[in-house]
Parts: sequence; structure tokens; C-alpha cells
Amino acid sequence: MIRITGGKIFDPANGINGQVRDLCIDGGKFVSSVIGGRTIDATGMIVFPGGVDVHTHVAGGSINFARAMTPEDHRRTTAFIRTQSRRSGLGGMAPTTFATGYLYAGMGWTTVNEAAVPVLSARHTHEELHDIPILDKSSCVLMANNEILLDLFEAGDFERAKDVVAWYICAAKSYGVKAVNPGGVAAWKWGKDAKQLTDPIEGYNRITPGTIIGGLAQIIDELGLPHPMHLHCNNLGAPGNVWTTLETMKLLEGRRAHIAHLQYHAYGGDDWDTMRSASAEVAEYFNTHTNMTTDAGAVLFGDTVTITADGPWQHLLYKLTGRKWGNLDVENETGCGIVPYTYRPSNLVNSIQWAVGLELLLLINDPWRIFLSTDHPNGACFWRYPEIIQLLMSFDFRKECMTKLSPIARERITLPDIDREYTLYEIATITSAGPARALGLTQKGSLGIGADADIVIYEEEKDIAKMFSHPRYVLKGGEVVIEDGDIRATPEGREFIVKPAFNPDIESFLKPKFEDVYTMSFENYPVEIERLEHVEVRDCIDT
Amino acid sequence: MYWGGNPAECHPRHFTKYTLMQKSKFLPRGRKDRTMILVDIRETKSGGAADIFLQIRPGKDFEVLTILRAILKGQHVNESAIAETGLTLEQLTDFIDRAKKAKFGCMFFGMGLSMTRGKHMNSAALLTLAAELNAFTKFVAMPMRGHGNVTGADVIMRWQTGFPFGITFNRGYPRYNPGEFSTVDVLVRGDTDAALILGADPGATMPQPAIDHLARIPTIVLDPKVTHTSRLARVHITTSVAGISAPGTAYRMDEIPLPLKPALKSPYPTDQEVVRRINEAVARKSHWIPDGGPMTILQR
Repeated sequence: MIRITGGKIFDPANGINGQVRDLCIDGGKFVSSVIGGRTIDATGMIVFPGGVDVHTHVAGGSINFARAMTPEDHRRTTAFIRTQSRRSGLGGMAPTTFATGYLYAGMGWTTVNEAAVPVLSARHTHEELHDIPILDKSSCVLMANNEILLDLFEAGDFERAKDVVAWYICAAKSYGVKAVNPGGVAAWKWGKDAKQLTDPIEGYNRITPGTIIGGLAQIIDELGLPHPMHLHCNNLGAPGNVWTTLETMKLLEGRRAHIAHLQYHAYGGDDWDTMRSASAEVAEYFNTHTNMTTDAGAVLFGDTVTITADGPWQHLLYKLTGRKWGNLDVENETGCGIVPYTYRPSNLVNSIQWAVGLELLLLINDPWRIFLSTDHPNGACFWRYPEIIQLLMSFDFRKECMTKLSPIARERITLPDIDREYTLYEIATITSAGPARALGLTQKGSLGIGADADIVIYEEEKDIAKMFSHPRYVLKGGEVVIEDGDIRATPEGREFIVKPAFNPDIESFLKPKFEDVYTMSFENYPVEIERLEHVEVRDCIDT
Repeated sequence: MYWGGNPAECHPRHFTKYTLMQKSKFLPRGRKDRTMILVDIRETKSGGAADIFLQIRPGKDFEVLTILRAILKGQHVNESAIAETGLTLEQLTDFIDRAKKAKFGCMFFGMGLSMTRGKHMNSAALLTLAAELNAFTKFVAMPMRGHGNVTGADVIMRWQTGFPFGITFNRGYPRYNPGEFSTVDVLVRGDTDAALILGADPGATMPQPAIDHLARIPTIVLDPKVTHTSRLARVHITTSVAGISAPGTAYRMDEIPLPLKPALKSPYPTDQEVVRRINEAVARKSHWIPDGGPMTILQR
């Protein structure tokens, strides 16, 4: 039992904007009152619901490949020293699992969504997620390049496709569906990409990226998954891709969708020399279409490692940079590419990317529909979120940062003209209440009675980045995990999964397919539920 | 293409299950739709499965790979440089022509490449060749791993420590330096005063000075069988066999985890159970790094 007294509460889920209230916690949840127990005096402090990351890459084959490829970064980064209560680990561009938990919690984030899991290696992802302490987790499976599913779309067999998607989600013990470069990753097996939403995909006659996007969005809505389709659009990173993005958004009218890392999909111009920000066009359309949510995928200058299922894009990035390149083709399901990358203010493209991420956060006017993310580790590492919060809350700081950009870059962006400054209430929305709602995790991102007691308490101070980097207290499930800059407890987190219904006959359809196209037997393929610890099955919803 | 490996004898299911014999949507005739090239310093049993065998001089792997990369980029190569490799310009040009024409190329490389003269430089040259071929067609490359679940050990060490092997924890956090912190180096230097051996038989494979040190110090072996290492160990704990009488997970060479489902029961504990109990006993001892010290350290 804990009582938190005197804090200024920012709880957008319940419309509380800075009022002083007491919070009572019992059994890991908020309750109306407690008698006895510890009292935390939060007088003068700022109280937020624990952060929720809607889109991050913290566990599984791809980030683990990135760890293998960047030993030079591991030895220049912060190291966590082992104690009896804490495991050792390394921070940096691709932190180790234990360090990931400590770094997220140390910053006040308590729930994360691992955004890209191939079903074939879901068993591995769950083992890593289990080794990330403190945080609660969910995950999305990669579906938009699964050849069994694409074959069904090609044959126009929608009902069976729906059962197959539901079966895969259950097999992976996952929470949602991710679509990455629909059709493009399948085409990458031929060394090709899918750039036009209306062109047939390499290896197929009828289906196009557009049909996959529309079909998957419909399936996900009809299955009633609590989190809508999590979409990484075609043409990521390419100059002029704003048209693909807008066409994709038009396709999705009448459907729910979460558009991932929108920053990478909002560029104008015709090539690298003429590239410009197109965030205004994207934001204008997005503002008037409330069927969608998005996350920023913001970029910060510095070193990072890019990892994505978008294999063809990563090959292009390798050719552009000449740096290390890792490629994984995941049988008939998806792909993956890894390229270390440095974003530089002296680089025109990087400058535009930096500005576009912030512009989208500032031009999209509903904080309930755009969330803070860097597409960790692609745009920047998650532990740099406080720097973005500072940029959002201070126009003066943005102006100061923009002096580093070249005059040409400043002409290609709209950031200098945007004087909006985020309030604390809006920050609490884009970092916690909003992403929790988009994920359909009703007990997260809220300080209301019955919600999970995940809380972050900041000591108010002028240096915004410092304040958000070093919370005074972090509570997870009612337990004090961070206090005065030290890790006090490292409880194991939960995993959220869904079990959408499917026709059991689908197994007799899939089993012979497995013998044809997979190298793993049908019986060994689904992740056993016993492998997951602390599972919470969430209900599907009526859309 | 296989380079410096002998899958017919070392990975006997590789041809039939994965690379050569399988019929598939885009290769309906199976073996007939594929071309297999074998590169090695001698003809092995795998040669029987190959369409083309390229026999190169021992220790010339790096040179051959570099010449192949030059030909791929249309650069001139000295005849004397080619002569040293044991191959002809025609053979090398034919290799590149076929690779560029392939719809999807796979390169597999074994210890004949990665553990001979040039070592990791050889692997890097082959990986670079595969990467550069992607300017023309789809190409991938993968090492042929050996020894049971070595890939699984790699994968888990990476997510827990950031590094696959050659790790020391002697400062309380993981540091990596193959050649310094690799098991064989630590043993040869005599830098360790105890050893716990799991799923390995270093007594059969490591150099004599390393084996001598294992015999000197308290060595504990967990193994279902009597091995060279268990004979020189102070303690040998018999454990059940993973996949036969113990459950678990093995990571395939391509890092896909497969569940192990035991067919038999065993009176012996699993490796996991033994290590768990050792850990519990260790946890009751006082910790060598006291609580209250610095939480993190900035390296450099």
C-alpha cells in the first residue's frame, strides 16, 4: 500500500491537468483510499502515468543481429554493473535486454510494444522479452509479406486469409499485426521492391501493395484486435514518398490504422538533391481523418543503428553509406536489414529528417493521435526521448538547434515557422495516455481508479531534458522501482497477447502448406504458451 | 555455393532438407533447377553433389575472393595473381557470370575458410562479395556452424551481454576481446582458478597448455557421458541429454529456435536444473561487488 501526496497530477486519460491530488495504490492498482503503508511526499513534483512506447525494437532476431554487428559501440557506452539485485548489461545504440529494462524504467517508461516479430522466430522474441525486466510488453507479428497469406489474397480467398492471420497471431502468442512495406519485402527475395501501390507485386499477377493493405486492415478490424493494423508504408525514406503515404491513407478510409514512424514517410522533392519536408501536406490530411493514429519516428543527430524488416530499403542505405550491412530473409514470411548510421546536421537529408519528425509532432494538432517515438533505434535510441520533449516544449531551444542547419536545409523545412510549444499535459498524452489508448491497453496510461499503478514522478526543473531524464520516483505495478536515481527493484514484467477466433479447420489447410514451404514442422511452429511467463490475454473488441 | 566446408559429411541433412533437393514454388524441379558450386582445397564427399568443383591452393582463399570481387567490378587482374590461386581466369569469370545470372544466390562457408590463413579476413571477403553481388541479383551468405547448440549460446550471450563469445565479467559488466578473453586464451594464460564446462569437451579439442590448466584447477563438468574433459575434472555431474531425455531449445544455424521434445525419461537432472541449484547456492554467499556502489560506469 502506497499513498502519493501533494503532487501535481497530469492524467489526460481522466482529464486531470496539473491539479494537486493524492494517489492511493493497493495490489498494484489505483484505489480510492488506503490505510497505512508508505507515503511518498510528492509536494511540488509532477506526476505522470508511466510512459508507453507504441513502437520500438527491443527484442528478437533483428535487434540481436544489430547487437552482433556493433561491438565497437558496446565498448564506448554506459555499462550497468552487476549487483546482487541487478544484472549487468550495456546501454548504447542496441542495449542488452536487462539494460533495456533499466534504461526505459529509469526514464519513467513502463510499457513497450515490440513492433516487428517474424512468427518463425517469435519463440526467440519471447525469450528476450522475458529478459527485459520491469516493463510490461506487447508485440506485433509481421504479416504483409507472408507468402501463404499473399497467395490467398491472390486467389481472392478472403475468409481463409482471415483465419490464417488469426492462427498466426495465436501461434506467435502476439498482440497485434505489423505490415512492413507490403509486398516490397516479398519482392526483395527477387532483389526488387514494391514502390507503386497499384502495381502487381514481383512473383504475383493480381495483388498489389494496395490490395494487401486494404485486405489486412479489413481482417484486423473484423477480428477485432485491440490494436489496429500497425503499418510501415511503402517507399520508406525515399524523396517524394509523401504521395505514397497520402495514397495509403486514402486507401485506409473507413478502417482503423496506426501509421508507424510517419517522419520517414513525409518527404517531398524528386531526388536526394531536391528533397524537402512534406510534413504540412501529411499533417493536413491526417488532421481531418480521425480513423488513424501515428507515431513520430523522430530523428536526433548522432550515431545509431537502423534495423527494419524493410530489406530493400536497407540495401539502398548500405549502397548510400558504404557501411556494414546485415540482411536476413525470414523464409516465406518477411525479411530484415541492419545498417549502422550517423545522422549529421551538416547533411541536407538528415537535417530535413530531423525537422520533419518535429514538424509532424507540432503540426498534427491532436496529441491523442500522434505519439512520441524514434522508431528505436532507427531515428535515435529510446533513451534520448527527453531531448525530443525539450524540443517540443521550447520554441527557443528549437531555434537554437536550427542554427546548426545549413541555409539550404532551413529553406526546405517548415519548422522555423512553427511556434507551438507542448504543455506538460500534452507531453503526458503523447508519451502515455495516447499510445496506451491506441494499443487498446485500457489499464495503462491512466492514473484512474482500477488502472495499473505505473507512475513517474519528476522534480520540477527548468532544464526540461534533465527533468525527464531523471525522474525522482518510478513505480511499476505499485512497486517503487526507481528512487533518487537508483534502481530499487527489478520485478518481471507481463506480456499482453490476444487470441482472436479462427475456424479450426484452417489447420488442415495450413499443415500440408507447411510441408511445402517451411523448414520447420507444423507441430514445432507455434510458441507454447508455457514458454511465456506472466501472460495476460486481452479480449478482442467489437469494431 | 559452399566454400571450405564439407556438408555431405558434417551437415548431412543440409542438401536434402534446405539447399539442393527441395522442390518449391519457384524451383519445381528441385535439384535440376539449381546450380551448386563447391570451393575447397581438396575434393571431398560433397564434390559428388556439386555441378562445378573449384579446387584452390591451400591458404589462397582471400586472394581468390579478392580476384572474384575485382572481376565483378570489371577490373583488370594480373595473370600471375590468378596463377597462384590454382584456378584459371576462365573458371573465375564463369563463376561471376553464373552468380550474376542467378535468380537467388546462397553462399555457405565453413571452417575451411574461416579458420585457415586469413581467418576473419577471409569471412569478411566472402561476405563482401555476397553483398556486392546484390548490385546484380539477390545474394545471401551464411556460416556453416557446428557443435550442437553453439548458435543458441551465441544468440543468448548477445541479448544478455551484447557480445557472442570471448566475454569477461571481471569488472562487473561484460567486455569483449576474442584472443584475450576467449576460453582457450584464458586457460592457456592460467588466468582462471575454476572452470564450469557445459555442453563441450575442451579436453578433446583444445591445445595441451589449456588442457593442463583445466587439470590443475577445480574443473566441474556437466555432461551425460564420460568425456576427455570429465576424466580430468574434479567433479562430473551426469545430466540428462537435451532433446532425448531433457526438454529445451536449440537454435538452428540461421538462428531460428526449435523446441526440443524429449522422447525418454531420465533419472539424471537437466543441465538447467543443476545450474539453477548452483546459482541458488552462490546467491547465499556474500556478493563480491557490494550493493551501494556505482550503478553504472561510463567506459572510455
